[in-house]
Amino acid sequence: MKSRGEFKTPGGKLIAVEFDVVNGELRNVVVTGDFFLYPEEALPVLAGALENTPASLDEASYAASIRSALDSRAELVGSSPEALAGAVVRALRGCGGHQRADDD
Amino acid sequence: MLLSARCGVAVGISELTMTDAPSTTLADTARWRAFPWKLLPAVARTPLLNMALDEVLVERVGAGRRQPTLRIWGWSARCVVLGRFQSVRNEVDEVAAARRGIEIVRRISGGGAMFIEPEGAITWSLYAPESMTAGMTFAESYRFFDDWVVDALRELGIDAWYAPLNDITSRAGKIGGAAQARRGGAVLHHTTMAYDMNLPLLLEVLRTGKEKLSDKGVTSADKRVAPLRQQTNLPREAIIEYMVEQFRRRFGLEADALHPEEFAEAEERARERFGSRTWTHYLP
Repeated sequence: MKSRGEFKTPGGKLIAVEFDVVNGELRNVVVTGDFFLYPEEALPVLAGALENTPASLDEASYAASIRSALDSRAELVGSSPEALAGAVVRALRGCGGHQRADDD
Repeated sequence: MLLSARCGVAVGISELTMTDAPSTTLADTARWRAFPWKLLPAVARTPLLNMALDEVLVERVGAGRRQPTLRIWGWSARCVVLGRFQSVRNEVDEVAAARRGIEIVRRISGGGAMFIEPEGAITWSLYAPESMTAGMTFAESYRFFDDWVVDALRELGIDAWYAPLNDITSRAGKIGGAAQARRGGAVLHHTTMAYDMNLPLLLEVLRTGKEKLSDKGVTSADKRVAPLRQQTNLPREAIIEYMVEQFRRRFGLEADALHPEEFAEAEERARERFGSRTWTHYLP
């Protein structure tokens, strides 16, 4: 079952993450939202920073690995590594998604 | 002597709403005027061709093959325009969209989904060398490209202001939003303002609208949209003409037309790239 979490940065944009948890790790990570990312082609860097990471990390550790993956290669605008890390933790706690009757 | 709008706000009055000082400073105007701006006037295009033209034209400005340009959009059909990083199923009810014959396209810039009806939106793109925003953060460059819009709306008697990161808003509600993409040394900054709104149809096809309604009972106050038709009583064409004149007066603007090879390249990309599911549904 897919886990999904969202985080809306106050005064900024929404970032959402979806993934499976397999053998205690995040797999098939997909990052979406109405944030901005420059360059745009760097989107896989965000998911890549989370792919195969343990599902047992704390929020600061996810944020650190996202931040180090972005490094100087790309910049999130309207969102942040911390916001994406927040979305991951919400997804892991199972409280991150909107209930949407027409989806399931 | 020079007080920017940002520091001219009186104590106790909400940020940026009451100042009469123009948002665009002299230094900003000098940045605009450093370039000979070209105007591509509105021609009704398919949603896909509009997506493709943005990419082709920003690339050409980046490559020095086109001068900085203001393109006014025309729409030939209703559509949903997704932001670059949005998931289709999270934003659109595809069944409802198909039932209503509403095409789903994806633009090259980030940001949020828009429901577009040809007579309901006023959209334009700016294609500029990135040097124009030298020394600015991304957030500052968003404001920079829309400050003249806020000034023009105020001159029209609308109490408008810029709401970071990328919104143009007013006391009555949100007017529009902007998004940027960057390619090879050039920046694309496109802005859409709501002229008229078909709220029932919007709510039928966009999920975000549905959620806002179901969450709050009404659309949340800060995201309430106040279309220009209800704020001005002016025809859509008159507002477009007014905005173009405002741009011309401030920064200079020379009539231009799409070059045949630009059109051909955009048509090919509309067909091969923007019209493919690989592009529209790359985040399903």
